[in-house]
Amino acid sequence: MNSKISAISSFLPENRLSNEDLAALFDDWSAEKIFKKTGIRERAIASADQTAGDLAASAAEKLFSEHSIAPESIDFLIFCTQSPDYFLPTTACVIHRRLGLRSNAGAIDVNQGCSGFVYSLSLAKGLIASGSASRVLILTADTYSKYIHPRDKSVRTLFGDAGAAVVVDAAAAESASRIGSFVFGTDGAGACNLIVPTGGARQGRSAASAVEMEDQSGNIRTGDNLYMNGSEIMSFTLGTVPAAIRQLEGVTGTSLDACDYVVMHQANAFMLEALRKKLAVPPERFPLRLEQFGNTVSSTIPLVLEPLVREQGGSGKLAVLVGFGVGYSWAACHVWL
Amino acid sequence: MDKFLEGMAEILEISPLDVTPELDLTQQAWDSLAVVSAIALIDECFGVTVDGAALAKCESVKQVQDLVSAKIGK
Repeated sequence: MNSKISAISSFLPENRLSNEDLAALFDDWSAEKIFKKTGIRERAIASADQTAGDLAASAAEKLFSEHSIAPESIDFLIFCTQSPDYFLPTTACVIHRRLGLRSNAGAIDVNQGCSGFVYSLSLAKGLIASGSASRVLILTADTYSKYIHPRDKSVRTLFGDAGAAVVVDAAAAESASRIGSFVFGTDGAGACNLIVPTGGARQGRSAASAVEMEDQSGNIRTGDNLYMNGSEIMSFTLGTVPAAIRQLEGVTGTSLDACDYVVMHQANAFMLEALRKKLAVPPERFPLRLEQFGNTVSSTIPLVLEPLVREQGGSGKLAVLVGFGVGYSWAACHVWL
Repeated sequence: MDKFLEGMAEILEISPLDVTPELDLTQQAWDSLAVVSAIALIDECFGVTVDGAALAKCESVKQVQDLVSAKIGK
C-alpha cells in the first residue's frame, strides 16, 4: 500500500526573539548583520511553561481544524522531539490523551533532530505499507531554546521553537501524491559536535557541570547547555548532503534536475546557500522558510512543505527532502506532492 | 585563487585589494562565523574541506592557503 502526505499545519509559540533583541545583548553584531549572516530575522520562543509536547499538541489541534480531520481517524501517532516532557512516560501518550485519539491508536516518541521528519516519514510509510495503519499523524516539535544559554550567541541566533503536524495517509496506486524511496545515514563520530552533554544517563547534572565558561568567541555556556561546533557541522554538511542526494539518485534513477523542489533542513541561510550553489539548484526550486522561524530542528522541513502542500497538493510535483545534522544523522527521500 | 581572495575579502568585510597572503588575520574579524564561512568558500573554490580548528588558528591568509594546499596535495 502506497502512502502520501495529505495535510500539514504548524504552530508557533507567541514570544519572539528578534535580531534587535539579540543585537542589544551582543554588541559586536547589529540586527542587520545577524540577518545577513543567518537569513533569520526572528525566532519564536516557547514560554517557560510551554513544552515541545504543548507545541505539538497545538499543531495537531490546528491541523484537525484547518483540514477537517477527525482525531478518531488517526491510527498511529509519532512524536519526533529531542525535548520530551518526561524521560518517561512517552510524551506521545500524553499528547494522545489531550487530542482524544482512539485507545487502539499507537503512540511513540522518536528522538531525532534535524533528520527527524524524514525519519518519521519513513516510519509512517512503513506502518502503512505493512498494513499496520492507514492514517499516521507525525508531530514534530522542539524547544531547543530551553537548552540554550542566554549569552551563547552562536546558537541563540540560529534556533527557534515550533511544532508541526503532518498527516500521512494510505494512497491508491494511481495517486499523484505519494511518498517515494528513502536513503539514511549515520555517523556517531559527530555526536560531540551538537550536544547537550548532561542530564541523561551518560553524565548527570552537577555543580561542576553548571559552571559558566566563556569560549574563544566570547560565547558563554555551561556543561548543561546546548553546544554546537559550527565549523565541524559545516564540513559535515558540505560532504554529506551532496553524497546523500547522489545516493538517492542511484536508488531511484531520478536525478536532482528532475525534482521540482529541493527541500533542505533549514539550518541557516548561509549553509543553505552554500549547498544550493554546490548542487547547482536554481533559487526557484530551492524553497526557504526560516526568516521568521530560525532553525526549528525537525519542524523545518514540514514548515517548508506546509505552503507547498496547501497550494500544490495533488499536483504530483516532485520534492526531494533532505534532513541532516545532530547525531550525526541524515536522511533523504522523494515526495510527490 | 582570485575567487578565493575575493571571497575572503567579503568574509572579512574589507577591500579585496587588502587581501594579500601577508594579511594578519588576528587583526581582522576572523571569528567563528568567519571560519565557518571560509570552510564553505574553500569547498566552493577548491573542492576540499579543511579542519575548522586548524583554520581558526591561522594567523595569516598565507597560512590558510597552506592549509588548503596540504589538503589538495593529499
